[in-house]
Amino acid sequence: MAIQEIFNAVLAFDEATVISKTQAELDGGTDIGTILNDGLISAMDEVGERFSAGELFVPEMLMAAQAMKAGLKILKPHLSAGQSKSKGVVVIGTVKGDLHDIGKNLVSMMMEGAGFEVVDLGVDVDSEKFVKTAAEKSADVIALSALLTTTMPSMESTVKAVKEAGMATRTIIGGAPVTQAFADQIGADGYSADAPGAVKLVKQLVA
Amino acid sequence: MYDRMQTFTANQMTRIHDASMELLSSVGVAFNEPEALEIFASNGFKVDGKTVFMTEAQIQKSLETAPSRFTVTARNPEKSVAVGEDDFVFAPGYGAPFIALPDGSQREATMADYDNFCKLIQTSKTMDMNGFMMVEPGDVAPETANLDMIFSSIVLCDKPFMGSPVSKQGALDCIEMASIIWGGKDKLIAAGPVSVSLINSLSPLQFSDEMAGSLIELARANQACVIASLIVAGSSGPVTLSGGLALQNAEILAGITLAQLVNPGAPVVYGSTFSAMDMRTGGLAIGCPELSMVVSATAQMARFYKLPSRSGGGLTDAHFPDGQAAAESALALSTAARSGVNFILHSAGILGSFIAMSFEKFLMDEEMCGIIRKLIKPIDVSAEAIDVEMIKNVGIGGQYLTQPKTFKLCRTEFYMTDFSNRQNYAGWRAAGSKRIDQVATESLSRRLAAYEKPPIDPDVETALAAYVANRKNKS
Repeated sequence: MAIQEIFNAVLAFDEATVISKTQAELDGGTDIGTILNDGLISAMDEVGERFSAGELFVPEMLMAAQAMKAGLKILKPHLSAGQSKSKGVVVIGTVKGDLHDIGKNLVSMMMEGAGFEVVDLGVDVDSEKFVKTAAEKSADVIALSALLTTTMPSMESTVKAVKEAGMATRTIIGGAPVTQAFADQIGADGYSADAPGAVKLVKQLVA
Repeated sequence: MYDRMQTFTANQMTRIHDASMELLSSVGVAFNEPEALEIFASNGFKVDGKTVFMTEAQIQKSLETAPSRFTVTARNPEKSVAVGEDDFVFAPGYGAPFIALPDGSQREATMADYDNFCKLIQTSKTMDMNGFMMVEPGDVAPETANLDMIFSSIVLCDKPFMGSPVSKQGALDCIEMASIIWGGKDKLIAAGPVSVSLINSLSPLQFSDEMAGSLIELARANQACVIASLIVAGSSGPVTLSGGLALQNAEILAGITLAQLVNPGAPVVYGSTFSAMDMRTGGLAIGCPELSMVVSATAQMARFYKLPSRSGGGLTDAHFPDGQAAAESALALSTAARSGVNFILHSAGILGSFIAMSFEKFLMDEEMCGIIRKLIKPIDVSAEAIDVEMIKNVGIGGQYLTQPKTFKLCRTEFYMTDFSNRQNYAGWRAAGSKRIDQVATESLSRRLAAYEKPPIDPDVETALAAYVANRKNKS
């Protein structure tokens, strides 16, 4: 089971093996969708589970995501239009007035690892930029991050701006001071306490 | 190094020393043990009735033979420990008659509790030695309980153990049982100390017959003794800490002198559990700041005489492993470790001014011992550790989470806690909003289930059991 070897190599944070095994499968004529879904993406699902269970640490999760992305890079030129279609498009950023990005970057990397197309707008992003980018990219989800209670109101104004623009794009929020109650209060479509939870949430929202 | 906690100057320590010398030469120390009086008399000390008078020259001479560091050999040699100078050990709580239960009530301790503590020590990442009388078992005959406890200490755990100086016979029991393991008393004496026993003065300025008798037998068998003063400032000692330090110093030096007269070079530890009386209740207070001040002073006085030191560790007056218990214990434990105490007794489990042991508190304190070992570990400032190249490469505004070095060291560079919560609020709520003592309660059965009895020569175990049975028949 060479696909299993790709899966295992992602879980072993072994980028070189992910590359060589993915290339070998590709050369051997294995279905590209199978390599992608059963090898790379399902490995990242497992990484997310293990992280949530406390077995994997943050740098290890990121190392696994890097290994996965290296495999994805090999497959990309060969993916057909249907296959290359991502699971969904996520526009992510830290809201206006807030410069904290570690948590947002973690979520971003995990989303990419899970097969989403991620457009990362960085930090201090105002509502207009979120709305404009989401419209341009036909985003499925806008993910908003904040670390400060003082910048949480920017989440509310962004969620409001998305609704006022009449877009179908869903909004999700996260960050240390953020809660499910706050998400409900401002009318966001979801909240997660950690990065793997955010990935699960987006999967549910785009399903 | 700058530390706001008092560091005595040489002059200040000399003042305490001089006061002690005056007490020893003018008031003397009473030894309620005839053999002790004979030993002092035959070595030229002035003895009047039960009181022994000591000159500074006599004290100094005995201090010359006392080692500043020694190794306690375990029956599993990999678990031997060094006591003295830069080396120190964490040892568990001692002497509690009750077990504090998770609901806040207490019950009489049993032999099964004692055995469970032996199992926890065996599986502990942070307890360096087994204890003695970690609880006082109420369900075995008190006259021979020391035999049951020493047997469990030796058989259930292969770390160094503590002796049973409950009486002269108790001390001899420990020596005889240790001789069984080491293949005879001559081999035991040659092996150096394999046990550490607590010898306490009877403040002010006395040693009981049991304690003096035990000290003589243990020193003779080359077993390590902690000679400690248990002054309660304001009742059995002066109300000022400096007066207490002078009195405790006199008592400890008198005990150490006896040990060195019996066996020059006998391993001894300069010890203290000197604390204050709570003047509102008349009870002993061990969670008080004065205790930690004395811990620091005791370590300094021991170094003044180039001796290893002993103090208490995770001490508290709280009856539940709550905020008070955690704060008081951490303060005393970290003061002991940072001050350079070499034998830190009561490192884990004690509640309620020594009245109870708590399994939850034991697990919480164990974690604190690990944290403190980490706390005092020097920061590596090698070029490899600083790694300027990596910082340059990451540059301005980059991040370190995906650096290979972060990945490589993410499991080992920081101390990982077992019980202290590190989850965010949502995660903590989802896991049941548990307090640390509740997490500890849940982990206890898993920890005990993971215990495996360490290998022991079946002939040795049989001989130890036979010794215990034989002694019980005689008593």
